[in-house]
Amino acid sequence: MLKAALAIARKDLSLALSGAQGLVQTVLLGLLLIFIMSLSREPGELSPPLAAAAVFWLATAFGQVLVFNFLYGLEEAEGARLGLLLSPAPAQAVWLGKALSGWVLLFCCQMVFAPAAVAFLGQTVAGSPLTGLAVVAAVDWGLCALGSLLGALSVGKSSRESLLTVILFPLLVPALLAGIRLLETVISGRGLEAVGAWTGTVVAFDAVFTAAALVLFPFLYTGEE
Amino acid sequence: MAQALVRLRRVSRFYGERAVLKNIDLELAPAQVTLVVGPNGAGKSTLLRLVAGLLPPSEGEVETELPPGGIGYLGHKTLIYPKLTARANLAFWQSMFGQPRDDAAVTAVLSRVGLAGFADEEAGVFSRGMSQRLSLARVFLTAPRLLLLDEPASGLDPASAVWLRREIRAVADAGASVAWVSHNIAADLAACDRVVRLDGHRVAYDGPAAGFDAAALAGEGVC
Amino acid sequence: MIRLCALAFAAASIIAQYLIWFHAPVEESMGVVQKIFYTHMPLAWWSTVSFFVNFVASILYLAKRRDAYSRLAGAAAELGVLFSGLALITGMCWARPIWNVWWTWDPRLTTTLVMWFVYAAYLLLRASDVGGQRQDTVLAVLGVVAFLDVPLVFISARYWRSIHPSVLGSQGGGMEPEMWLAVLANLVAMGLFWLALLAFRTRQLGTGAAVTALMRHGSIRN
Repeated sequence: MLKAALAIARKDLSLALSGAQGLVQTVLLGLLLIFIMSLSREPGELSPPLAAAAVFWLATAFGQVLVFNFLYGLEEAEGARLGLLLSPAPAQAVWLGKALSGWVLLFCCQMVFAPAAVAFLGQTVAGSPLTGLAVVAAVDWGLCALGSLLGALSVGKSSRESLLTVILFPLLVPALLAGIRLLETVISGRGLEAVGAWTGTVVAFDAVFTAAALVLFPFLYTGEE
Repeated sequence: MAQALVRLRRVSRFYGERAVLKNIDLELAPAQVTLVVGPNGAGKSTLLRLVAGLLPPSEGEVETELPPGGIGYLGHKTLIYPKLTARANLAFWQSMFGQPRDDAAVTAVLSRVGLAGFADEEAGVFSRGMSQRLSLARVFLTAPRLLLLDEPASGLDPASAVWLRREIRAVADAGASVAWVSHNIAADLAACDRVVRLDGHRVAYDGPAAGFDAAALAGEGVC
Repeated sequence: MIRLCALAFAAASIIAQYLIWFHAPVEESMGVVQKIFYTHMPLAWWSTVSFFVNFVASILYLAKRRDAYSRLAGAAAELGVLFSGLALITGMCWARPIWNVWWTWDPRLTTTLVMWFVYAAYLLLRASDVGGQRQDTVLAVLGVVAFLDVPLVFISARYWRSIHPSVLGSQGGGMEPEMWLAVLANLVAMGLFWLALLAFRTRQLGTGAAVTALMRHGSIRN
């Protein structure tokens, strides 16, 4: 299963980076969001770290929907889903492959969002950027585990991206809240006493939805139209 | 007759309250080409999906002798990633089927379908005929024991369709079972051993291709 | 069964209303506004039960593939959204005079609101044609995922608040025995109402499916 998942992830990444349309759209949308949010502060005034972290994760959440629609759209264009399902690899390999490639793509997008948020929202980072990367990567896994599971919703004849957004965003609330708080701590260097609790939330979110996806994905990803 | 590869016993399939197939009994044997015909909405594609195990039956049982990955598919959809080269497409399916990476095998199947000169071109620029050749190369590469065809010849020019028919016959003669959904009965019948006609959610005819009167059906407007 | 529940509800609600207005004393600090609580709490309670029924029915559907479970899950989600929506509104009507705000970041409030969003989206998907032939399966998976999210939402909402402690005081805890009786009676009455609605709606969905099948194809399965 791991080998097949890696093959899918590698294939998806090479498709995403060669065409690059999906990725560029995601980055542009995120940058636009950050820019628009920056209008909410008065000239010369700095946005609070909490607001900056919230905007960053908002851009990520929107980007995530685009990323997973793109990744699952790849299999629909010429019916490759049938081939994946007929291969000896279990369906979960598709979930894992998409989650991995989505994770990498999302992380790449965030590497553009982060400096944009710092610049547009006037932040100075007090904590270690390395910790920030670790936080982002850990929260991203939860987002991608759930995103890859529900991304399979956009499969078939009647896919509508907007519906995916509506169902995905409220479900992501715990991970987003944790991400916002942890990132605020990294930016401002304050609130260290709550890091343990939030880290626990992130780990729980990652674990619950990774397990749920492994069980539920085969129900969603089938040969039906 | 040799041991059946897939056996459907009293299989029914419903979508919600709507019946698509009712009480189907069907066996698919090796080295045999079965043509599946019937009017639109008779459940031909659903039957293929049930046989492939992609769709659970609502009632009845689907028994299979095939290991995972033993089923191949060739249809009007090509299963090709247009942004990847022909070679990369095949290499991807190779790893999905748990085969070691083998460039020589990929080159061999590409020349077998006449695409040797286009191995490193993006599959997106291929014509319909070339795409279908690439799909067939994928089938050869994964060597399925049961091949499901869903109108693979649609959109092909007559010469390519003749070539495709010959290749399909060769796959069956090499020992695989082929289930072939087609609307072009008159042309495809010659390459088949057996015909299954679906009508009214049931099997209306199941017998040798030689005894199947395609002309009479054409008169009814079924095809 | 439906008729029995409805009748029992009618009787129980008369008793429950009597207990609210004539038996339970007027709360000292909050005054008559506190009476909202007797409706609010059962609404919130039974909406949670609805979501749990949706969760269980979704699992059963995935395991057994029987359409009846899917319809039960749908009916439960509808009731859950309706009840939690009403619970939110009654809660706001209560919070405005007591806390002096319409809304505050309380874990229970936030969790209810987030779950309301989730299940409203679920109903939206149910009404749309998402998933095509797989719609029931898609919804069942969503039902499971949504319920798994509840504890996580609650935990994160609680942490969020504990860091920024709210200035609002906690609500008065101690209730008198008469009040407890009123609460209990209302809980039972609302439960009967809920059960009647759930059974009625499930049956209605089943009849609807059968009628659609008859009209379109002239036959009903089995």
